[in-house]
Amino acid sequence: MTWSDYLPAWPLEISPALWLALTLVVAVLVGEAFMRHLKLPRIVGYIGVGLLLGPGGLGLLPQLPATEWRLVIDLALGILLFELGSKVNLRWLKANRWIAGTSLLEATATFAAVFSLLIWFGVDGATATVVATIMIVTSPAIVVRTITESRAQGQVTDRLLLMTALNCIYAVVFHKLAVAAMHGAAGTSFIHTALQPLYLIGGSALLAWLFGMTFERIHHYLGHHEETFSFILFGMIAFATILASILKLSPILVLLAAGLITRYRRQRPRTFPPHFGSAGAVLVVLMFIANGLAADLSGLRHSFLLVLLLISVRAMAKVLAVLSLAHQSGLSLRQGVALGVALMPMSSVALLLTLETGMAFPAFGSGPGLALMSCIVILELLGPILVQVALQRAGEMPENKPENKS
Amino acid sequence: MSLMPFASSRPLSLGVELELQLLSCNDYNLVSSAPDVLRRIAKREHPGEIKPEMTRSMIEINTSVQQEYGGLIEELHALRDVVSEAGRFLNVAIAGGGTHPFQHWSEQKIFDAPRFHYLSELYGYLAKQFTIFGQHVHIGCPGPDEALHLMHMLSRYIPHFIALSASSPFVQGHDTGFASARLNSVFSFPLSGRAPFVLRWEDFERFFSKMTATGVVESMKDFYWDIRPKPEFGTIEVRVCDTPLTVEVAAAIACYIQAMSRYIMVEQRTPPEEDDYLVYTFNRFQACRFGLEGVFIDPRTHEQRSIREDITDMLARIVDHARELHAVEAMERVREILIAGNGTSWLRKTYAREHNLGDVMQLQAELWMGS
Repeated sequence: MTWSDYLPAWPLEISPALWLALTLVVAVLVGEAFMRHLKLPRIVGYIGVGLLLGPGGLGLLPQLPATEWRLVIDLALGILLFELGSKVNLRWLKANRWIAGTSLLEATATFAAVFSLLIWFGVDGATATVVATIMIVTSPAIVVRTITESRAQGQVTDRLLLMTALNCIYAVVFHKLAVAAMHGAAGTSFIHTALQPLYLIGGSALLAWLFGMTFERIHHYLGHHEETFSFILFGMIAFATILASILKLSPILVLLAAGLITRYRRQRPRTFPPHFGSAGAVLVVLMFIANGLAADLSGLRHSFLLVLLLISVRAMAKVLAVLSLAHQSGLSLRQGVALGVALMPMSSVALLLTLETGMAFPAFGSGPGLALMSCIVILELLGPILVQVALQRAGEMPENKPENKS
Repeated sequence: MSLMPFASSRPLSLGVELELQLLSCNDYNLVSSAPDVLRRIAKREHPGEIKPEMTRSMIEINTSVQQEYGGLIEELHALRDVVSEAGRFLNVAIAGGGTHPFQHWSEQKIFDAPRFHYLSELYGYLAKQFTIFGQHVHIGCPGPDEALHLMHMLSRYIPHFIALSASSPFVQGHDTGFASARLNSVFSFPLSGRAPFVLRWEDFERFFSKMTATGVVESMKDFYWDIRPKPEFGTIEVRVCDTPLTVEVAAAIACYIQAMSRYIMVEQRTPPEEDDYLVYTFNRFQACRFGLEGVFIDPRTHEQRSIREDITDMLARIVDHARELHAVEAMERVREILIAGNGTSWLRKTYAREHNLGDVMQLQAELWMGS
């Protein structure tokens, strides 16, 4: 027997998972400190730690295998999207058409503002379209997480959830179409240009519908034991997410639509533990750290002005669109401003769409994609704070200290 | 500060106030949407009044002065429709019922008005625990002495009103076992209970000025009595009812009180006695705890029977007065409650079927909104 039989070899061979676990501990501690001392949402800490330790910052963490990370992000995002969908009451759109109007106006205005700015900066039409569709989306992850954490409740909160779900759908659907158009411009035959988005959108809708049906069956069978049910739901979400990527469908669309369909069909709302239990909650934290790790601010160096202007015109478009219909839709001026501001955050969905485009068109990833990435990073860090302040100003936070619970 | 003079009002005219719950359509918990709902309603024409209440998750609807059941129910329907439309527009459900089954009192927010902030400071958590929902019925009286007479005579029948309207078995997520758990919250206020036994208005004024001199009260509003005179309206106000689950039941109970008042004014000339109150808290407790099954002890004969039997008996005695007041349909509805049960039994049955208080609350809101 020699030393090497029972002592570890030197230098130690450290698996990336060890760093990951350590990062989780540090990030949660930092998030807690942010909340206690600075009254900032915890997720700012999670993203911040990822950004600081990752390749974009101090570079302390090695680049982690992309496929594993991708699974974490997909699962966590799937959970948050399903959660978002199941909190949204689509019947409300029938009773108050002004909200549907506000949503459409907000998305159109954002698209138009961003598109015109990019054209003015000399970006070609197809690329400008893709960037503009991505910038429509409000981050479902940040919105759901911040609302869960703060236990906010009221008109602005309800509308924020609804409008986030809707603009996420617009963004994903139009992004697919815009990318198809880019393929068309790059010389792909018409049949594939047309069929690819059709397959993707139709297939995702079908999978979401199947999910909804199964959900109802299982729910009917299991009855009211909510803990058991949330375990099953967790499994179903994971299954649907992975199946969607295997089938090359859009996991984003599938899970969001599945949430919406189950809520719409059941008619009765159901309250589940946040993120369907602690496993889900850990995944969500990991996702925010991963977003920080993936953050890329290099676009700021070349196109600082463009990034700044993109963020500004998007903000203006969203706030003004909401304000213009606030009165008719039953909001006060203050609530209108709050809702407009709360629509600012960008994060995972935008990030995934940007990465997807970049993979299909490498030129996009190194050009306008970089500026877009910088926008996402900035709005990911500021987003949670903006949502929190907006909901506070709208008077929708609990009056007693929120840190005692959640 | 002295009491304002007793205004004149048409005898037996009536008015109803209902405190309503505002619920989020996401989880059917209370939601602080009163400012949004009131802003929406401000643009609408409607009869009566729609007002804020102590916490932002409640609103109150008041009818104008009515003479009989027909006009009352029509106006309540109109008020209900205006409020429900505003609710649907804002994704807010509106429900009757005396308590919210699983709200947490500490999460309630005080409505932004000086009086509510004052009360909140004075009573502390009691003010937020006061997130309970009652029906108040005003009955017009020809004069102040008649008002005091009617008030003391009606006091005997307080258990009837409690048992018929009871719709608050659940509090903070649990079945309390009470038919009306709401009233337990009212009893924790220092000036709750019954009015002093005085039969002449001068004596009442003297009592009132002695109370104000002590600094304990400033106005009639500071008394949380089960029945109290309302001098500025020229009415007495019965305050023990839970908000029923439908406006129809609310109107029926109001007209039951009206018909009984006519019976007391016209037919029953025996004067009230202080000793009538010996059984008062016992009877009231029985009604809160057991509803229609509660024991009712007659203060004069000391005979014991169930509250249901006593109401049946009363319905027979006031039948002519109800006909005079065009309230026959209302009496039919009261009789239906005796057979089918009050709001509390509906709530318990629904919970036994649904196993989930959120679902119960949703069905309760659908029942009230008439959808």
